[in-house]
Amino acid sequence: MTSPTPRAQPRARYIVAALVCIGAVIAVVILAFALSGNVVYFRTVSEATQARDDDGRFRIAGAVVPGSVKTTDEGVAFEVTDGQETLSVIHKGDTPQLFEDGAPVVCEGKWGRGDAFASDRIMIKHGEDYTPPKVNAGERGA
Amino acid sequence: MGRVIGVGAVIGVVALCLFGLWGAPPDDRQGEAMRLLYLHVPSAWLAYFAFLVTAIASALFLWPRTRSIVWDRVAGASAELGVIFTGLTLVVGSLWGRPIWGVWWAWDARLVTTAVLFFLYLGYLALRRVPGEPVASGKRNAIAALIAFVDVPIVHFSVEWWRTLHQKATVFNPELSARIEGVQALTLWIAVLAFTLVYVYLLDRRYRLAVIDDALAGQALARAIRTRTGGNPGETT
Repeated sequence: MTSPTPRAQPRARYIVAALVCIGAVIAVVILAFALSGNVVYFRTVSEATQARDDDGRFRIAGAVVPGSVKTTDEGVAFEVTDGQETLSVIHKGDTPQLFEDGAPVVCEGKWGRGDAFASDRIMIKHGEDYTPPKVNAGERGA
Repeated sequence: MGRVIGVGAVIGVVALCLFGLWGAPPDDRQGEAMRLLYLHVPSAWLAYFAFLVTAIASALFLWPRTRSIVWDRVAGASAELGVIFTGLTLVVGSLWGRPIWGVWWAWDARLVTTAVLFFLYLGYLALRRVPGEPVASGKRNAIAALIAFVDVPIVHFSVEWWRTLHQKATVFNPELSARIEGVQALTLWIAVLAFTLVYVYLLDRRYRLAVIDDALAGQALARAIRTRTGGNPGETT
């Protein structure tokens, strides 16, 4: 089909090769940068309590301790646990639909006053299991 | 053949609608939002598959013995479909994330690598539009497609390699034991089959379109040359 002048071809080829390499490099850099702070998307409760002097924002994952949820003026206060350590969380703002006793949550925020974690965003970490509703829908396992 | 696949795809999609919306029960915890799984999971698989086809076709183009314009066209057509399926995966996943996670988007490894996948192949499609001599541009397209494919396994294993908000694989997990059963599993398989048929049908259509495109470009070029060399521009070959 189209055949450009023989002299123009090598130059075009270099430009294209350079473009492809630049694109690949940009992709790798974006990947590295975007993931650097987020490769570990959350810390477990134990990991978080071991790094109490961290004054930056981070995320904590754990299960809501059943019976610990109390509503406050600005949101909710509750405890999360990873099975080893338990931590109180004071959350400002709304809670997701599936927030309840025993729910696996990821809280985003920073250390607040006292021992509590001051969260301003709660996400539910859903598992990979899917099950139809139990026949007796009134009784749900925690 | 294309028509048979087209009819099969329509039947598959209708069956998916029936099973997905009525046949399958909702999830115990997620409720009705779980039905989005029947679109999200097959979209993601077909995105992987489409990019795999692009990678294989690109390798066949690069290999001198099998080099043919056919493989370049297949690679391009499949990549376009892969981008559509990746986009669908992102949109449906976001719609699911809002009610279940509580957020539309999370900067976790799975979501970021998937977004990168989307833009990598958009870049590849843009590169395909750069004019050039067929063999040279075919080679450069093929190399770009093989580089972009590196992200596919990264996307799939991101949930195993890093801690993510996104759940791990329900079906193709390292243990290869599906965490879904009964009618829900059946519906998921119907969805995968339906999406695959839609993919094959569209790939066939898109390939034919590429053939027509090339023929038109060839005709336009021939006409331009005849005009320049003083021939009759209206004359056909």
